[in-house]
Amino acid sequence: MGITLNFSVILTEIIFVLISSLIFLIDKFIKNKNYAFYITLITLVLAFYIVLFVPFGEFTYAYKADFYSSVIKLFLVGGTLLISLISYSYLQYYVNLNSGEYYGFLLFSLVGAFLMLSGMDLVTIYLAMELMSFPVYFLIALNYTYYRASLEGALKYFIVGSLGSIFILIGLGVIYYFGGTFLLQEIFNKLAQNFYFKEFLIGFIFLLIGFSIKLSLVPFHMWAPDAYESAPVPITSFIAGIVKFAVMATLVKIILIGFNPLKIEIGEIFIPIILASILIGNVMAIKQDNIIRMLAYSSIAHAGYAGLGIISADYAGYSFTIFYMLIYLIMTIGIFGILALLANYKRELLHIPSMASLCEKAPFISFLILVFMFSLAGIPPTAGFIAKFYVFMSLIKTKYVWVALIAIIFAIIGAYPYLRVLKVIYMDKEPLEFYFKYDFAFLIPVVLTALLVLLIGVYPKPWTDIIYKTMYFYISSLFYYS
Amino acid sequence: MEFLLNNILSLIIWFPFIGILLILLIDKKRETLIKWVSLITIIIDCILSFYLLANFDFSKSGFQFVERKRWIEFINSYYFLGVDGISLLFIPLSTFTTLLCILISWDSIKELVKEFYLALLFTNIAMVGTFCALDLVIFYIFWEAILIPMYLIIGIWGGPRRIYSAIKFFLYTFFGSVFMLIGIIYLYIKFGTFDYTLLVTQKHPFLVEALLFLGFAIAFAIKVPMWPVHTWLPDAHTEAPTAGSVILAGILIKLGGYGFVRFALPMFPQASLFFSKLILVLSVIAIIYAGLVCLVEDDLKRLIAYSSVSHMGFVTLGIFSFNPIAIKGAILQMINHGIVTGALFMCVGIVYDRTHSRSISYYGGLATSMPLYAAFFMVFTLSSIGLPGTNGFIGEFLILLGTFLANKTMVVFGALGVIIGAAYMLWLYQRVFFQELNPNVAKMLPLKTNELIALILPTILVFWIGLYPNSLLNFMTASVKTLVMNLK
Repeated sequence: MGITLNFSVILTEIIFVLISSLIFLIDKFIKNKNYAFYITLITLVLAFYIVLFVPFGEFTYAYKADFYSSVIKLFLVGGTLLISLISYSYLQYYVNLNSGEYYGFLLFSLVGAFLMLSGMDLVTIYLAMELMSFPVYFLIALNYTYYRASLEGALKYFIVGSLGSIFILIGLGVIYYFGGTFLLQEIFNKLAQNFYFKEFLIGFIFLLIGFSIKLSLVPFHMWAPDAYESAPVPITSFIAGIVKFAVMATLVKIILIGFNPLKIEIGEIFIPIILASILIGNVMAIKQDNIIRMLAYSSIAHAGYAGLGIISADYAGYSFTIFYMLIYLIMTIGIFGILALLANYKRELLHIPSMASLCEKAPFISFLILVFMFSLAGIPPTAGFIAKFYVFMSLIKTKYVWVALIAIIFAIIGAYPYLRVLKVIYMDKEPLEFYFKYDFAFLIPVVLTALLVLLIGVYPKPWTDIIYKTMYFYISSLFYYS
Repeated sequence: MEFLLNNILSLIIWFPFIGILLILLIDKKRETLIKWVSLITIIIDCILSFYLLANFDFSKSGFQFVERKRWIEFINSYYFLGVDGISLLFIPLSTFTTLLCILISWDSIKELVKEFYLALLFTNIAMVGTFCALDLVIFYIFWEAILIPMYLIIGIWGGPRRIYSAIKFFLYTFFGSVFMLIGIIYLYIKFGTFDYTLLVTQKHPFLVEALLFLGFAIAFAIKVPMWPVHTWLPDAHTEAPTAGSVILAGILIKLGGYGFVRFALPMFPQASLFFSKLILVLSVIAIIYAGLVCLVEDDLKRLIAYSSVSHMGFVTLGIFSFNPIAIKGAILQMINHGIVTGALFMCVGIVYDRTHSRSISYYGGLATSMPLYAAFFMVFTLSSIGLPGTNGFIGEFLILLGTFLANKTMVVFGALGVIIGAAYMLWLYQRVFFQELNPNVAKMLPLKTNELIALILPTILVFWIGLYPNSLLNFMTASVKTLVMNLK
């Protein structure tokens, strides 16, 4: 079997790289900075189309466009589309964030995510992860003109991220030493023949550390609140939604293809990490006064809930992990879209106590916040409940009832921070001056996500079907044709 | 007509949604229009629910008006609704209570009017849905969805300590129901279905059954609320606006009792028998303890809130004596308590709107300044005590009679609770309405039309059920008989 160079398979990534390079090239010469937004928008719509129609296949051994990666890419493109809409209105108010660089980096980061999702060997995945992360560091640091401390956040994220890379490299070294390969399929074959169980597990633990840093799982979470707070608001939703979604999907894929025989042990390793993430994320969120920091801690907890599906070591559980991340992506885009609007008109409103009596000045926005907060807390009839319900179901199915019980008790603690935001908005009475007007770049993403949250909460069937069937086809294709 | 009868449960549940959509379209400044829209919506919903009563065939014990549509096939969950004799009466009670709430808060809610009526209609949807649901996932979704509007109603329009109470209420009930969720998921994993009618027929090993029972019972006991976990109730009832208290007393705490009869008993019969002694003791403690608290309480609303704890003690006493008479009494007592306590809270709300004081010592001699109001209050007080001729008597009598056949010791203590009940209610009435006229309440506005209607409606029911209880008991006879037969 020779190496295939089928460029049509990798077309999306090529287009992304070319266009973002083009943006960097011409940025200096164009006065009207909105051009970058339109280019990005067109690229993303085009990418949506291309991902749908790109043929499945391999590009060398390292890259493979298949059903699973294509479906997830579609979600990522959709999410980024909404985030770039939010960014458009955000950049009207924060003009010094150089919009050419902003969108260029956004696209570059997305290329990284795509390559990572399609990567079939660990080195490609590692490099793609770096490609995804570096633009994000820059994007956080771009906020320097408005928020001095953002350099600190970016640097912290960078240093912790580099630490993660080192761990991944060590893991790669261990795996290569014992297995002599980086290809996921080969690793699977080696494991299936009962070679080097323990050694591969150690290698995987090192990989896992690198991945948990990107997922901000405890104890590698300390960068999250600072980085989230420092970044421009739409970028925060990019970090919390898109990056985490891509990393989680890749992790699931690595476990599915490469380390499948080890999945029960991997699940057991996950238990303390996940429970600690849920606990610490929820407890630390209680006292935060800055809503973005609060959401940062809550995002730690949510990554934990999503990880519950991995504990269950079951294909349905993995698909529920992906489903949870999808719901979290939707909720994140929505809530950060609202926060971007608040930040546009009055940045102090990001401080929770100063949101008092927002419901009188902006009833519609307050209602949307209400929807997202109840969804984040996991109260029916919202999508957040359905997502939690499924991961708990997968846990109980695989006899981890005690994990589910502990996680669910932590979920009660986790309801408080969200209730507190609502309490301030609806129940505290203080004079508030706040004027704003709606624009489409705000309304489209936020209303769309709010509708989705309610719709999935009431009728989740099509969405779970998409994820579950993707997983099902993927697994059957893996084990029947390879 | 055919269509109406085939889909009547869905219609009753989702009809207020039309009202919600209409209200959303109305500008928030046009408050009167909003009120009228929500009133008319609820009146139609109420008529629909009475139409349901009229078409119910009470000779059958199974579920009627069943609707079953695909919802999430993937986990074998259906949109499955149906009513039998146990759940039927709660549906008109819910719509009727919401109607009273809208009437009573016509003038007393002054800020964020639009949001208030939206929240009330949403509560109605969730309440009726909970009583109709036969699929456990649907049931859980409706059950939890009530928390959202109730949290807002208590927290936004409540009294001085509203925020503390709202959050306490939310976290307390949320805590309880997640254990039920685990139980529900466990049942699904074991039997592959969320269908109530199938799950009832399953048998479990005793230990599993006991654990499942405890999981469900925590959720229901907190909602009821039973004795050690009742502390959210006085706060929530006291701080909620009048409408909130009426819904809490009228429907929300009935959900706990309903849950016991509908889920805990038939699904886990051995465990229910095993734990019945414990629950009987807890009920008796609730009856007597809450009664004693009422004797020393100076806050009108808090007193009535504690009296709810005491009355709900009778309900759990009746349910866990496993006697058809007592169970019928318990269900009837829940209906009665919903009507009477709701009415008492409305009475308190009426004077609170005028004086802004809930302290008993603030009042005195109110009978001279508001004679008509005093008469209504008297009716509800007597019904709460359980005077023959009123509905309260029928419920308590049936419970005590049934429990006497099963467990004599408990009845002695339970009957003691009746005496304490008479003591605190009559003493309350004496302190508020008789004695010397307190200058604080010398000049009071007479009752408004909406308040008058809101008081007349429950008064009619008090005497109707009190004088001809068979009209309600007939509905549940067959279902309760099957329930008790399956228990033994």
